[in-house]
Amino acid sequence: MSLTRRDFLQAGTTALLAATPSWLVASPPGRKPNDGGVPRLNDPDTQELAHLAVQAARSAGAEYADVRLTHVYDRALTHRGSISDAEEMGVGVRALFNGYWGFASGPTWTPQEVRRLGHEAVSVAKVNAIGERRIVDLAPVPANETGHWESPQRIDPFTVPVDEILDFLGGVAVYIQENNPGVDPLAVSTHFTRREQAFASTEGAYLTQALTTTAGGLAIQLEKYPPGEDHQASSDLLLTAARGWEYLRDNDSALRAEGARLQAQLEADWRLPWKPVDVGRYELIVDAAGMARLVDGTLGAATELDRALGYEANASGTSYLDDPVAMLGTLQVASPLVTLTANRSAPAALGTVRWDDEGVRPDDFTLVKDGILADYQTTREAAGWLKAAYMKRGTLVRSHGCASGQTALFGPMLFPPNLRLEPGARSVGLDDLIADLDRGVYVRGLSVSLDFQQRDGWSVDPSLFYEVKGGKTVARLVHAGLLFRTTELWKALTVLGGPKSLRSIPAMRTKGEPAQAAIYNVGAVPARFKQQTIIDNWRKA
Amino acid sequence: MNSPRRRRDVAGVPSWLERVFGDPEERLLSLADVEGLAARAAAFARGGGETSLGATSSWAGELRWALNRATLASDRRNHELRVARTIDGARGGVVTNQIDDVSIEGAVRAAERTLHYDRTNPERIPDKPPRFDYPKTAIWSDATSGQPADERARGVQAIIAPAEQAGMVSFGFVAVQATGHAIIDPALGDSLYARYTDAQCSLTVRDAKGMGSGWAGASSYDWSRIDPHALAQRALQKCLASRNPVTIEPGRYTVILEPQAVHGLLRYVFAAAAPLTNRGAEHNPRNPFNLRDGMSKLGLQVTDSRLTIVHDPTDPDLGMVPFLDDGQPLRPITYVDHGLLANLSYMRDYALRWLHENLGFPGRLTYRMSGGSSTIDEMISTTPRGLLVTRLSNIDVLDERSTLLTGVTRDGLWLIEHGKISKAVKNLRFTESALAVLNSIEMLGSPEPVFSPREPAIVPPVKARDFSFTATIDAI
Repeated sequence: MSLTRRDFLQAGTTALLAATPSWLVASPPGRKPNDGGVPRLNDPDTQELAHLAVQAARSAGAEYADVRLTHVYDRALTHRGSISDAEEMGVGVRALFNGYWGFASGPTWTPQEVRRLGHEAVSVAKVNAIGERRIVDLAPVPANETGHWESPQRIDPFTVPVDEILDFLGGVAVYIQENNPGVDPLAVSTHFTRREQAFASTEGAYLTQALTTTAGGLAIQLEKYPPGEDHQASSDLLLTAARGWEYLRDNDSALRAEGARLQAQLEADWRLPWKPVDVGRYELIVDAAGMARLVDGTLGAATELDRALGYEANASGTSYLDDPVAMLGTLQVASPLVTLTANRSAPAALGTVRWDDEGVRPDDFTLVKDGILADYQTTREAAGWLKAAYMKRGTLVRSHGCASGQTALFGPMLFPPNLRLEPGARSVGLDDLIADLDRGVYVRGLSVSLDFQQRDGWSVDPSLFYEVKGGKTVARLVHAGLLFRTTELWKALTVLGGPKSLRSIPAMRTKGEPAQAAIYNVGAVPARFKQQTIIDNWRKA
Repeated sequence: MNSPRRRRDVAGVPSWLERVFGDPEERLLSLADVEGLAARAAAFARGGGETSLGATSSWAGELRWALNRATLASDRRNHELRVARTIDGARGGVVTNQIDDVSIEGAVRAAERTLHYDRTNPERIPDKPPRFDYPKTAIWSDATSGQPADERARGVQAIIAPAEQAGMVSFGFVAVQATGHAIIDPALGDSLYARYTDAQCSLTVRDAKGMGSGWAGASSYDWSRIDPHALAQRALQKCLASRNPVTIEPGRYTVILEPQAVHGLLRYVFAAAAPLTNRGAEHNPRNPFNLRDGMSKLGLQVTDSRLTIVHDPTDPDLGMVPFLDDGQPLRPITYVDHGLLANLSYMRDYALRWLHENLGFPGRLTYRMSGGSSTIDEMISTTPRGLLVTRLSNIDVLDERSTLLTGVTRDGLWLIEHGKISKAVKNLRFTESALAVLNSIEMLGSPEPVFSPREPAIVPPVKARDFSFTATIDAI
């Protein structure tokens, strides 16, 4: 399949250069050389492209159509001077015909191409619309909504000179080298993304948004360490957030202090003896980050309505909420202490938007209220699946705004919004939970895996299990693991941390065919559970 | 180069935009297109040195269904351009999916800026010039690249029909993809270009109450090698036969692993034989093929002596793009030869530093595992008590050193008693070492292609003893 040098010479380089087609000359709207490349969303050409795309779909017979244009910039740097830059543009048209969805996407922002995509989306929808009509009842949105929103940031990280960023990262590395002898800063890094997107629909919407994220990372290694001990650690201080460059700049001294903190944490672990796990049932304490991952993998996944109805059966799996309409408002899924809310409005959270990827203004809503299943994550189509249930309880049929696509190159689908396990009323922190525990197990940084219905779960690396005695961690448990049944675990929750112990961490869900991902935040507090099964994770049957 | 004139035509469209893309039916960038782009990029370069361009363009036609109805049909295209500049050994690169002049000039500038800061690898070891003996590989099929959307739609209706007629519910995905992949690098001399196709079909059939579930899937570069009707029947039969499972105690069982289940385990053996890190088995005490510091287990027995595991790009069932991103030709590698660890793969920098030769890193986990002559029926009839496993899912590594994995069975698990399938049983969680399974083999069947999109693998069914199941799970 490859060409040889002879082929190349026969074709002739001159001929190839002369034959450079004219399409190489023009550029998408708003682009100027070296301006960072991002087309301004208020460029009338961008709106025109969006308009042309939905027009094309409508004229081809779509009952409903929408278009998304996305332009994503990605930049990552380390203090050693490695820089990676990437950009991706996309335009995707989605069309509904006789209850069947079609989607067409590509990288090219031109009138000719977006018209083709509009036609193509309808054309692929039509060929499936054989036989009986599929009922798609899109929950209503206000007509003709227009607007622009940007995630709050003070300094656009893409406007910060590379030299300034490298100076900052290098400064952190040098500080740690000079002030923390024995600590080797392996990597001080940062990662920015900027996602500009426009949305238009046959219902008259034209909505534009710009979402920026920034992350700061520090990985260290201790030069001297007892044989066999872990001697590397990474900071979780500046995890990805919807913030600008100020997120790093304003936390300069805190990031520098992470070298000493990580060192102290590793060394504190070394002082605790290793102990074989005594398999059995224990009182269990999970920290806030571990609780966030537990929420995400269990209740977070289970309340995706598409998953509960089977739409993900051939991909990421189904849900233990397998009769979602009947279970709504009646099923006890957790202890009465547990209330789980969802939003796309929390400041600096990754799932925060003004409009979702089908033009819906998301609301804040409650998924689990005092332990009872109260609602599901929905899109416009998914809200329609709950029409009867919503009408029965007298609530409006409206989407919660959970539609999202990785970029415009993927069709939008249901993805989790920001999730939050509501804190307990009492002012309790992780240290209080441990101090109050006479005998039990504390797990730091719990990470869980679940089966394809989230019914059963088990801990995986890098969860660290500690024995607690008399309110203190006294030993590390070798290869210990947690084995749980999801509903039993949530019903066994006895204490939740208070508002001050709330921690919000970034999360990512991958689902769909083709697989795509979305990011959001999960907030949670530390918690105590009664009678949990602690096993030797490495032991075979 | 003309500067665009922003004249608006009657429809209010800036007419200069019309010229950006050539023939819209031309889905992939051709070699001539990419060489044109490379020439543009080189023309924008400043400060001497060399400019290289990697370009991948792709088209996918897809159809997803759920609850016996199509839920989304799609037609998606994309490009990826990897623009790199090299001056005096320093290298910088960026990625974009835009092919217009402004974007390419921006990419060249960005690559040059990156290059300016390149202090990561001051003593970059130069490669020996690659030998241009690229293997002939079977990777393109017109039946795949040309599959029209209506053929896909009719095919899916035919796949859904048997399940629907049986009162069951079908969910699945069919996709075809065509990709053009080019590398234009002055250091290589020649332009490298390959087109390849991918096709996949998989489905899950469940009973309406969620009391049974069956799965079947196939993938190939060639759609015509996939038999959707057979898959539809297989998933339906598995669903019907898996209904109303009973609970059995976890413990050690003789297992008959269908090829898809074996593949689920083999991935992790491969991850050890071709690690995606710059740390070969010799220098990574956590690698299962590490013998002691500085030494691997090459030449030692690591599996049952009946097993040979090869990666051969010329195998008509295992075709891959014949060159790697650095221009190296893809080479056949025998990883396991009659149970002996025969070769390992290494990433470039590690290979040059420790082995003084970069033999190329395959990048994808494609392999053929040798088998035997037993049929699954024979495996069943010779089993006094055991389990028949359709596939494994949700797998995590517990211990890399011993390839100790945990995960669950899915979409069909049956108890075998006295040489016969006696009943469907509830899924189990397993805790087992992949290499231990390859050392506990009782019988081997005939190797067949498994579902592994873009990473083809040919795997036999395996009967193995003492497979460790550690918990029952309720998921169906």
